[in-house]
Amino acid sequence: MNGRRNLINNLLFGLGLALMIAALYMVFMYVPTEKSMGIVQRIFYFHVSLAWVSFLAFLVTFVFSICYLRKRLLKWDYIAHASAEVGVVFTTLVLITGPIWAKTAWGIWWTWDARLTTSLVLWLTYIAYLLVRGYATEPARGARFGAVVGIVGFIDVPIVFLTVNVWRTQHPTTIIFTDGITAPMLMTLVVCIAAFTVLYVLLTAQGAGLKSLETSIKRLKIRRTG
Amino acid sequence: MEYLGYLFAAYSVVWAVIFGYVLYMQRKQKRLQRQIEMLQKSVASQISHDK
Amino acid sequence: MSTFARIITIFWKDILTELRAREVVTSVLVFSLLVVVIFSFAFSTRIDTAELVAPGILWAALTFGGVLGFNHTFAVEKENSRLEGLMLCPVDRAVIYWGKLAGSFTFTMVVAIIITPIFLALFNLPLFLPRLLLVIGLASLGFAAVGTLFSAVAINTRARDIMLPVLFLPVVVPVVVAAVRATAVVLADKSWSDMLTWLQIMIAFDIVYLVVSTLVFDFVVEE
Repeated sequence: MNGRRNLINNLLFGLGLALMIAALYMVFMYVPTEKSMGIVQRIFYFHVSLAWVSFLAFLVTFVFSICYLRKRLLKWDYIAHASAEVGVVFTTLVLITGPIWAKTAWGIWWTWDARLTTSLVLWLTYIAYLLVRGYATEPARGARFGAVVGIVGFIDVPIVFLTVNVWRTQHPTTIIFTDGITAPMLMTLVVCIAAFTVLYVLLTAQGAGLKSLETSIKRLKIRRTG
Repeated sequence: MEYLGYLFAAYSVVWAVIFGYVLYMQRKQKRLQRQIEMLQKSVASQISHDK
Repeated sequence: MSTFARIITIFWKDILTELRAREVVTSVLVFSLLVVVIFSFAFSTRIDTAELVAPGILWAALTFGGVLGFNHTFAVEKENSRLEGLMLCPVDRAVIYWGKLAGSFTFTMVVAIIITPIFLALFNLPLFLPRLLLVIGLASLGFAAVGTLFSAVAINTRARDIMLPVLFLPVVVPVVVAAVRATAVVLADKSWSDMLTWLQIMIAFDIVYLVVSTLVFDFVVEE
């Protein structure tokens, strides 16, 4: 059991490294420079991958929160918690790389467009998720409250997106590619998304493992001290 | 090479933040490691005491 | 007792307490009014810009006032350790949620109905706007649905006064946007069809959050 898990872990590490090198190669060497925006457009590949993977991370938190509330297996809670943590880290990166790109592409740092606003609201919601877990008066409560926030917060995503979309109907997608997305660009994006997905899985597994370790140590301590 | 600095900044920040997160996990692991050592010592002293 | 009668009983308990102590409505009312005044200074509002910024100011005041009010919803029960009593009631937890929800919704509505005419007068806008009542009703229901749930979460955390706004505000973003836009339509005296989308968004939000909160409330208060 343990041996097999180690093997999977090593394989994932190898795969992740290979994919990340491939992604970097494709972003900087393989993909042609986009005509209207120039070299800065290459931020797009990491930026969009991070956005997709952070959404995936919050989806995982949502699913495992429901599982935890139904079955009360601590394992589910560790995964939900770790996934939300990685999601917040990745969303932070989305919110930093986005404006760097926007400033050169559109001449502005920020616009209240549907995707940007939804990312910001998501980021704030999951920071609240982490805070509520940290501030809960006891860990068991924190797990329950976290699960509730993980469910309630995720359901908000489509509503926020829809609302802001109606409010501000400008779409930056039309400006991203003047000639539409070409095959090499799409391929580069797919490899980047794959690379970050593997990175996400590795980080989440690590985080969940640490949380499980933390709980076991806490239990041992309670048994020692009575 | 217009705006090359921006590209550099974006890619550096991605790795800087991810490294920061790994560092955070590492510190947490070290803290847990110390707690395990403390528990081991307390178990060991109890065993020698019982003898 | 039927489920409905039970909800009404919890609701009446809150109304009676409020009628005696007048804690929530008065403090929220004064606070919301202060937000209106501060925002008017912050935007140095003049009559000619009023229509532009007024909807935003009104909903900022009602949103922050709402946070203050919802902080009370369960904190009051906690302080006098009445929460245990309430939880020991042989009723479904969902009944407790709906009872508290009815109370919070009523308080929010009362505050909004008093604040709005004062606010409209301060900005020299027309006072009689029946359509605004619908907007306030839908938005208050959404606020109360989320606020009641998170109020129960926040009382069991440290720094609970901070926890509620941190949880509540990101989630109600759609309601705030929709309420502000719908209010702008009413103030500009445009047609119903212009505000239809915003009303639909608020109705959808209300339904989704009433259902989801009813389902998850049990997990918040169990033990």
